[in-house]
Amino acid sequence: MKIDFRPTPARLETLDRRVPDHHVFRIHCSEALPLRPGQFVEISLAGIGAFPVSPARCGDGYSFDSCIRRAGRVTDALYRLPEGAGIGLRGPFGNGFPLADFRGEDVLLIAGGLGMAPLQGLLQVLIEERPAFGEIILLYGSRDPELLLFRDELEKLASQGQLRLRFSVDFATELPWAGEGPVCRLGLVGELLSDLVFVPERTVAAVCGPPVLYGCVLEELAELGMAPERIFATLERRMKCGVGECCHCVTAGRYICREGPVFSLTQLRGMEGAI
Amino acid sequence: MAGMADLFDWLKQTHRVHGPLRGADGIVRLGPLAAWPDPLFAGLPLLPPKKYLLPPRETLWSESDGHPEPEANTRPLALVGIAPCDLAGIAYLDRVLADDPSYRSRRGGLFLVGCACEPDQDCCCPPWSSLPPCDLFLTAAGAFFGSPAGRDGAAAVGLSAAPLTAMPALLPSRTRERSPEFAERFAASRELPLWAETARRCLSCGACSAVCPTCYCFDVVDRVDAGGEATRSRIWDNCFFKSHALVAGGHNFRPDRAERLRFRCEHKWFGFGDDRGRAACIGCGRCRRACPVEIDIEVLAQGVDGGGAP
Repeated sequence: MKIDFRPTPARLETLDRRVPDHHVFRIHCSEALPLRPGQFVEISLAGIGAFPVSPARCGDGYSFDSCIRRAGRVTDALYRLPEGAGIGLRGPFGNGFPLADFRGEDVLLIAGGLGMAPLQGLLQVLIEERPAFGEIILLYGSRDPELLLFRDELEKLASQGQLRLRFSVDFATELPWAGEGPVCRLGLVGELLSDLVFVPERTVAAVCGPPVLYGCVLEELAELGMAPERIFATLERRMKCGVGECCHCVTAGRYICREGPVFSLTQLRGMEGAI
Repeated sequence: MAGMADLFDWLKQTHRVHGPLRGADGIVRLGPLAAWPDPLFAGLPLLPPKKYLLPPRETLWSESDGHPEPEANTRPLALVGIAPCDLAGIAYLDRVLADDPSYRSRRGGLFLVGCACEPDQDCCCPPWSSLPPCDLFLTAAGAFFGSPAGRDGAAAVGLSAAPLTAMPALLPSRTRERSPEFAERFAASRELPLWAETARRCLSCGACSAVCPTCYCFDVVDRVDAGGEATRSRIWDNCFFKSHALVAGGHNFRPDRAERLRFRCEHKWFGFGDDRGRAACIGCGRCRRACPVEIDIEVLAQGVDGGGAP
């Protein structure tokens, strides 16, 4: 493994500023950047810092899209950059989703909040190779309707019959799509599982969301009859180096940045403090 | 031992020679040597050799310099008078930082002269099955070489040296017993009161990690100078600091001190990553000496291994 702390030059393009503090950017890298869904890169702003982010579209090997939440000092600085600004990139890091395990199977995606962003990256690949997969089901929960990410894209895919889509929102005075359109319920995303019609034996699941989501959803999927080795979650941790050196991300003795961030429920059950 | 002045001169031709020196304040530090130290073992230095191999602050890059070549213009380092536990600490870093280019470049040029030590009451080295790697190892019984460079050094100054493998086994200073169930007991130990009780005393000062030969975690920080030039550096971090597992948005994966104390012990007793299952602790006892509230990692280990008894 080659470890290099010097970022590769890249250029920032803004794609979508509709959701406040959850803008979508396209990043053009000056060198080839083979990126798989579930992997992450480190975006670097010289003199300010760096942060890890997963692709929401893996792109052509030189560019990728990412939904970046304005959550701290470095992302705040990124939001103020002009169009075309020069930034830096390190990566890709991590294992990504095991796509071979998904082929030929139904795919259940469960996203909570910004967890939709990495799953959007996975979904793009599933759609690109649509015939290789069975039915695709997306359960996506958001705090409120205004924070739903990739809403138009998802609606379009659902209307084309490419995926079965169900939304949930924690808070809303009025539910979107009350008439026509996708199902949207008030409540937590896990509750969408209660009456979901799917075939657990031929389904592979990918789950991404805040820590609280994993606590309930992963074991529930197993209880519904899914094999734990076919339930995958991607873990968020503090990542500084991306290469298994700096120790911030270590959970149950494993470097999440290098050995993960995607783990199966079988693995997670043996990792104290992971979920 | 005869020939030591010659060995010093021989090393000095090609290396900067550093070793332990006891200061007027009574503290032993690794620093530049003007002559061969006598005695060679002056006690364990306050900071272990990691301060050379993984410096407390290291520039990763700056906008104008591109890749810094660490110490490209300086002569390589020779460390003399290094006790077996500190040699084991270096061997540990060699494994976990095997792919790190700046570590490797520093380590590649390092000439290591180990020596037999005089254990004190805080030491608890593991029983050495074989001595950790070094170029030369000096004991009252004679000199031993562990590399071609070490053999050449001994030959150049007329020092009779045998291969390191021929050295009689070193005795442990204080046996550290672990039951075969230790890992299992640790895994089940989260709720043991000893964590919360010990953490209540802990000041989160991080002295234990700072002086630990096998603590290598680092933070990455940026700085802009008055001329507007940006520099990114890595600096020693510390898993006792609250920010260690804090992510943007405010979630902390190790929010309380007991959790962080247990995290450090987990690394010292079982290691991380590919090294999982191999204790990182090399028994130098520095953390016990450095702790201002007398938290003792061996007492904790025995507590966990004994099922939670204090």
